[in-house]
Amino acid sequence: MELVKITVTVNGQRYEREVPPRLLLSDFLREDLELKGTHVGCEHGVCGTCTILVDGVSVRSCLMFAVQADGGKIETVEGLGTVEKLHPLQQAFREKHGLQCGFCTPAMLMVSKELLDRNPNPTHEEIRESISSNLCRCTGYQTIVEAVELAAQLASGGSHERT
Amino acid sequence: MKPPIFEYRRPATLNEALDLLREYGGDAKVLAGGQSLVPMMNLRMVHPEVVVDINRLSELDYIRLDGRTLAIGALTRHQALLESEEIAKGCPLMSEAYRYVAHLPIRNRGTLGGNICHSDPSSEMPAVLLACDAHIVVASHSGVRQVAINDFLLGPLQTVIEPNEIVTEIRIPLHSQDEGWAFKEVSARQGDFAMAAIGTILRISGGEITRASIAVVGMGDRAARLSGVEQFLLKQRVSKSLFAEASAKAAELVNPDSSHQASAGYKRSLVETLVARTLADAAGRSNA
Amino acid sequence: MNAPNTQENAHIPPSCQREKPQKDLKWIGKSMARVEDQRLLTGHGGYIDDIKLPNMAHAAVLRSDRAHAKIVSIDVSKAKALPGVLLVMTGEDAKKVTGPTAQFASPPVIQYCIAVDRVRHVGEAVVAVVAESRYIAEDACDLIEVVYEDLPVVVDPEEAIHCTGDAILHPDRGPTNVARQEKFVFGPVEDDFRNADRIIERRIRWPRSGGQPMETAGAIAEYQSGTGTFSIIANTSFLNYVGWIIAASLGVPSHKVKIATCTTGGSFGSKLFTHKIITLTATLARACGRPVKFIEDRLDNTMNCDAHGCDRVYYGQLAIKNDGTLLSMKFKVIDDYGAYLQFGLGTHGNALCQVTGPYSINSVAVELIAVLTNKCQQGAYRGFGSEVANFFIERMVDAAADELGIDRIEIRKKNLIQPDQFPYTIPTGNIYDSGNYQLVLETAIKLAGLDDWKRQKEEAKSQGRFVGIGIATCQERSVFSATEFWSLNPKDTPGFMLTSTPESVQIRIDPTGKALVTLASPFWGNSPETVATQIVAEQFQMSPEDIVIMYADTSTGFDSAGPGGSRFTVMIAGAIVGAAQVLKKKIIRIASEMLQADPADLEIRDSGVGVKNDPQRHKTIAEVALASHYFRLSFPRGDDFATGLQASYVYDHPLTTMPAADRSSLGIYYPIMGHMCHLALVEVDIGTGKVKILDYVAVHDAGTVVNPMTLDGHIRGGTAQGIGTALYEEFFYDESGQLLTASFADYLIPTLHEIPDKIRVDHVETPSPYTEYGIKGGGEGGRMAAPAVLAAAVEDALATFCVKVNELPLTPNRIHALIHNN
Repeated sequence: MELVKITVTVNGQRYEREVPPRLLLSDFLREDLELKGTHVGCEHGVCGTCTILVDGVSVRSCLMFAVQADGGKIETVEGLGTVEKLHPLQQAFREKHGLQCGFCTPAMLMVSKELLDRNPNPTHEEIRESISSNLCRCTGYQTIVEAVELAAQLASGGSHERT
Repeated sequence: MKPPIFEYRRPATLNEALDLLREYGGDAKVLAGGQSLVPMMNLRMVHPEVVVDINRLSELDYIRLDGRTLAIGALTRHQALLESEEIAKGCPLMSEAYRYVAHLPIRNRGTLGGNICHSDPSSEMPAVLLACDAHIVVASHSGVRQVAINDFLLGPLQTVIEPNEIVTEIRIPLHSQDEGWAFKEVSARQGDFAMAAIGTILRISGGEITRASIAVVGMGDRAARLSGVEQFLLKQRVSKSLFAEASAKAAELVNPDSSHQASAGYKRSLVETLVARTLADAAGRSNA
Repeated sequence: MNAPNTQENAHIPPSCQREKPQKDLKWIGKSMARVEDQRLLTGHGGYIDDIKLPNMAHAAVLRSDRAHAKIVSIDVSKAKALPGVLLVMTGEDAKKVTGPTAQFASPPVIQYCIAVDRVRHVGEAVVAVVAESRYIAEDACDLIEVVYEDLPVVVDPEEAIHCTGDAILHPDRGPTNVARQEKFVFGPVEDDFRNADRIIERRIRWPRSGGQPMETAGAIAEYQSGTGTFSIIANTSFLNYVGWIIAASLGVPSHKVKIATCTTGGSFGSKLFTHKIITLTATLARACGRPVKFIEDRLDNTMNCDAHGCDRVYYGQLAIKNDGTLLSMKFKVIDDYGAYLQFGLGTHGNALCQVTGPYSINSVAVELIAVLTNKCQQGAYRGFGSEVANFFIERMVDAAADELGIDRIEIRKKNLIQPDQFPYTIPTGNIYDSGNYQLVLETAIKLAGLDDWKRQKEEAKSQGRFVGIGIATCQERSVFSATEFWSLNPKDTPGFMLTSTPESVQIRIDPTGKALVTLASPFWGNSPETVATQIVAEQFQMSPEDIVIMYADTSTGFDSAGPGGSRFTVMIAGAIVGAAQVLKKKIIRIASEMLQADPADLEIRDSGVGVKNDPQRHKTIAEVALASHYFRLSFPRGDDFATGLQASYVYDHPLTTMPAADRSSLGIYYPIMGHMCHLALVEVDIGTGKVKILDYVAVHDAGTVVNPMTLDGHIRGGTAQGIGTALYEEFFYDESGQLLTASFADYLIPTLHEIPDKIRVDHVETPSPYTEYGIKGGGEGGRMAAPAVLAAAVEDALATFCVKVNELPLTPNRIHALIHNN
């Protein structure tokens, strides 16, 4: 089986790999690059658990082949922040209890990053629209929206009362 | 659910793509956004031997005004169309319909060309194009042809495209300022495929209907125009009772199958409701 | 506070509560940010599919495409020949080395990890393949040829009762698909029915849905041939409860199987005991000589999760007086368990713990019919049967109100158990430990602003819109006892009558004073590390920063039944208090030596021990710990001062009694009784049949609340699943047994748009007299009321059409039919 050479930049780091054409981008990230933060929920594009950013826009990584990402700039949850230095979104999710089992969380964080990158002051409705592309089975979504609202405040340097 | 093995080709130009399709013909599948094709491959419902990835053909990604025609490159992403001012002005029916199409990550990748080639009977854009009397430009090494959308769509997953052809452009007559439009859909959840959807365009002059274009989604093998209703409406004076009668007629004209999700009777009632509502909105928007 | 010492309460054992509810707690009752979050937020969750072992191979499963068929032949030759394939195993192959997997029904319903001789539902495993990658394993599955001989298919629970001949799924068990049929009478039902002014009758249909967490189930197994030992990692619970049964299936002694758990991406009951997946993966690992990973993909999961929810038909009768008093109920319930019966009649036992709801209904008669059909088997799904019982009784009460022309809220008020009646024994023998249902109702009505809702409804009516209000007042039991699994079994085959439902903890204070707390049950998305941290912090008056939570596997963990039945917080609190008492006694003894003070004069405070009323004389826990670990000779002789600071504790269910021999009472088995009132304001678009939830209020009484923020998360998340159950979700099998709702495109989990923007939540706390701090469980709650309240609200909205909601889900299609068929 012919392998295809690809070069991808993931969270700022360059990788050169040879991959089979049918390797899904989700599996490439998880298995070849050992970036386990992107999760797999359905592999038919409905649940959104695998959502990452490719060239700045949100994409279902289970619906792309790794070969298609050649030359692309990929962002996953691992690039957002670390335990020592959490991204405002991560801080806000923790504060607002925007996660329970955590499985949908990386995807929720990435679509929220896409939103805030484009629009640092989204309205409540815009946040709802962004989150609605991903399924969560634990939270009922309300605290996820509240987390993104808080993150927008934190990111713009606003202070807030911990409620 | 992992896809089966395939050979991968990634042409850099349209010409290269056409070379590949000429070479591989029916063994190949064109990969554009992948939002319809890849799930089917993951579910192993399709097993193409060769996948021709046309995502590098930036020459097919554009929105242009060509006289009184909107020319949309086949590789234009749904999200670009949703955000486009030109589309909002030039084909407001499409803009309104995009409110119902999937979710952002799907729209970021999915393309208009890919969507109509996939010809899903529950998809919105074929109906929009039908209502607007669009034409599809199809290219191969043998030449270029234009096909009216109504002739282009054959049935579920079936169009008139030959194995050596690619859709390159979608051409839509520019929206006329005096026309009203409305697109409404009922789906199980927000963003799901339509259980039923109606796209309506009305032109009203002096209280009289001079153009009626109504397309329906979800009632058969493909989106369709409700020409019987259109004929009924033409030259009639706008009134609530006219619209009620037209809606009832629409419900009679469609011939849906029953499914677990929606009985035939329910689908008919959806058609009636949505035709009534889109007619009202379209009339309201037209500069009668 | 113990049960009042009356003759009425003579059957209630005394409370063994050690920690009373208190107002001035430092950690308990606070919305502390979660300890679990950091790793989850940064992409280091450690879920089963994140784990990689050296030389690991991957499994895929070929599944049956038909609902009921004999397996005539399987040709695996092409699959075996595919490069990269390591092993192909049929059910016959597996049966040679691996026996049936775990099941708790009696008489048993035998099941194997791969089907043997016949398949009994679409999606059942027929062949397993191990290969270098999942991709290749699936390629191999495509090359396998199976020849089936079709057998008759049954998918309707009522039809299943009458099946004969080849339609019988388990002919070895008997010539019927009825797994159990029995009548139970609790109290003077016939007398009560004779006293009634009217009998309300209703048929209710509750079809199956399922938890379907975002993460599917999976396992990684390794077999060390040198020691004959299996080492397994799985996102399962029950590992330290009945995990050894896996060894029995594998044909090895129990100490040859080690099971460890990992971070789990949601369960809602579905991962209670993933015995088939674990047994299969271990079998494959042994056979192929390499570690094997098997992760369900989404279709594996919807078709064969072995965790579909209840699938019931109720024929109910409610005996009432004309003034609205509810006297008695009778019902026949037919439950379609699918092709197997792994948890026996547990979901029925569960339902009977609160079958009369929050009402003072005097007696109950039940005819229980459990049938087997060609569907995936049932497992546990948030509510485990009680959510259906709640739906049933609320529909009956609404019907009673409507027939009498009484307001639906008034009829409830009339029949709610009074605050001074607790502990309250219901006809089935279970007790409700404490409550104030009137206060919960009042709080909910006030929070909703019911008068404003009524105004909105009237205004909508004048505009030709259809708006309705629904109410549900429901019980929310917590902390199950194992007796529910077998108490309904036949008397001559009662099965394994286990009575232990424990939870354990190990606490070790290390030489620098840090608390290492080991749980024996997994993280599911409930917040075990956080609540354990809060309770440990409270017990030792130490900072959560100094506490770490770890997980034991089956070689290091003590008896623990794990999360489920909303039990975990209550049970871990009991275990922690137990272990802490032992440790604190020792800490005080050591400190008394160090401070030269009498132990009676010492108290735990400020991350250490100090002399009461003397702020200066204090030793930190770190100082005590260092001394204890290293300076044995500084302390007196005797076991009290042995080196080290650790204790373990196994906490048993605080209040269980045996069922009566004749089953006229099922005993006390689910007494820690929460309660909730949900109110919903909905609008129905009669042109499309779509339901919009305009406003939603949930008031819950979960006793003393450990972490209000995480409890609210469960209330909202549970309510969201309840909305899914009520309006969107169904595992629908057509007449030929094909599952039409297998993919996520068809099985409709609510997105954000289907859930109200704000579910408004409030709490009432009536502490339990029986649990530590008076905590009650609240993890399942919202799902147990939402279907009832939404059904009621839709009925109210469509009252002009005389619509009665007797069946779920309330899809637009169904609503259209309800409106137009009347």
